[in-house]
Amino acid sequence: METCINLNDLNKWFGSFQVLDSINLSISTAEKVVICGPSGSGKSTLIRCVNALEPFQSGSVNVCGISVEKNGRNATDIQRRVGMVFQQFNLFPHLSVLKNCTLAPCRVLGLSDDEAGAKAMHYLERVRIPEQASKYPADLSGGQQQRVAIARALTMEPELMLFDEPTSALDPEVVTEVLDTMVDLAETGMTMICVTHEMGFAKQVADRVVFMDEGKIIEIATPEKFFSEPTHERTQFFLSRVLG
Amino acid sequence: MIDLRFYEIWREQIFVEKLINGIGTSILLMILGGIIGFIFGLALATARGSKIRFLRIPSATFIESVRNTPLIVQLFFVCFGLPMIFEYRWPFFASALLALCLNFSAYYAEIIRAGFDNVEYGQSEAARALGLGKNDILAYIVLPQALAKVYPSLVSQFVFLFLTTGIISEVGVEDLTWAGRYIADRNFRDFEVFIVLTIAYALLSVMFRGVLTATGQLVFPWYREK
Ligand SMILES: Nc1ncnc2c1ncn2[C@@H]1O[C@H](COP(=O)(O)OP(=O)(O)O)[C@@H](O)[C@H]1O
Ligand SMILES: [Mg+2]
Repeated sequence: METCINLNDLNKWFGSFQVLDSINLSISTAEKVVICGPSGSGKSTLIRCVNALEPFQSGSVNVCGISVEKNGRNATDIQRRVGMVFQQFNLFPHLSVLKNCTLAPCRVLGLSDDEAGAKAMHYLERVRIPEQASKYPADLSGGQQQRVAIARALTMEPELMLFDEPTSALDPEVVTEVLDTMVDLAETGMTMICVTHEMGFAKQVADRVVFMDEGKIIEIATPEKFFSEPTHERTQFFLSRVLG
Repeated sequence: MIDLRFYEIWREQIFVEKLINGIGTSILLMILGGIIGFIFGLALATARGSKIRFLRIPSATFIESVRNTPLIVQLFFVCFGLPMIFEYRWPFFASALLALCLNFSAYYAEIIRAGFDNVEYGQSEAARALGLGKNDILAYIVLPQALAKVYPSLVSQFVFLFLTTGIISEVGVEDLTWAGRYIADRNFRDFEVFIVLTIAYALLSVMFRGVLTATGQLVFPWYREK
């Protein structure tokens, strides 16, 4: 299988505090990986290193065949190939839904307005909200905003997608619509890393589940093994809390 | 009871002409000064927020110099000092306009900078995650949101600055204040002239505020007060 992401002995500190501790992880093209772990364990920092939003001090990060430079010098080369969805959506409030999706393809990939618009409408249809294209984000519900955020990332036609707790800020009743969208996306063969505590999603979609604690990867397993026979005590404790 | 004789102002056609010209000059100065000052202010705010010291220090120095000295001193410096140092001659209108632009730009710059600081970090981060470059993020993401946030402050500042512009009559620009003085010096009806000027300034302020607020609603239709 072709490798899409390779993290080799990745270490990162915030000042004297080590957020990432010797992370080794290799992810193949079209693989779906769910990352979970307690708050503050470094999950966000880890995926932010994957798309060069965070610099790191040692180790190597390889994404889409490009070696990410520690200081972020080639960050935009990575970022145009990697889509990201945030907990707080981070839609651009001053742009219509359509413009949210077309801005980067026009400016970064050099598409014309028409080309980008057609592509954006294609992905807005995929996330099932083409009818909202001319509205501003503030006029949409949280679930709709997050689906727009997914469409916005997809319009760049990324080689992989990162999700950082995409449903944590949502009202419970709209979580499903976003998860369904992510399941659909998974079925298209997209490479995905999802930080999430939605264990139902992990069981349904993930090829592997990664458990992190205190900046380390504690356990990596298939969902079947992860949920039925977690090997580490900390994983067991975490699962007992999350699964209730 | 004071004996008010407003007709002493309207009686002479030259007075009415000077008054109308004065209003026109004041409005023109404000429109030009407002627009040019805003563009300078934008550049200054960007420079002051820059990582490059060569840009940051001069812009900060300029902004603080302007904000900590009286407008009248700046006016004399630009209208008489600069032409002497660099040996050029400009009409008073142009010099006064330049002085106003420089003065406005410093105040605008500080307001705009506050706007930059208030745009959520997640916005530029999301833009970076899409592969947008620094300049695009500034122009397409941060700037529009920063301006929308501080637009009401910019409008208030504009109106406030308008009310200080009467001072340019000191260097012979024939604005509204100058017209008032011209008339009062000839008909000796200082009090009536004073009342007319006050009303004219108040009406113009209300007009500027109204036009600018309406413009804001057109330019930032998406903006919701948080
Ligand atoms: N910019 C930063 N500066 C200093 N510490 C940070 C910064 N960002 C995150 N941290 C710290 O790093 C740790 C891991 O953060 P994060 O990756 O966000 O964890 P998670 O996503 O698993 O909750 C936390 O203890 C957090 O306080
Ligand atoms: Mg997090």
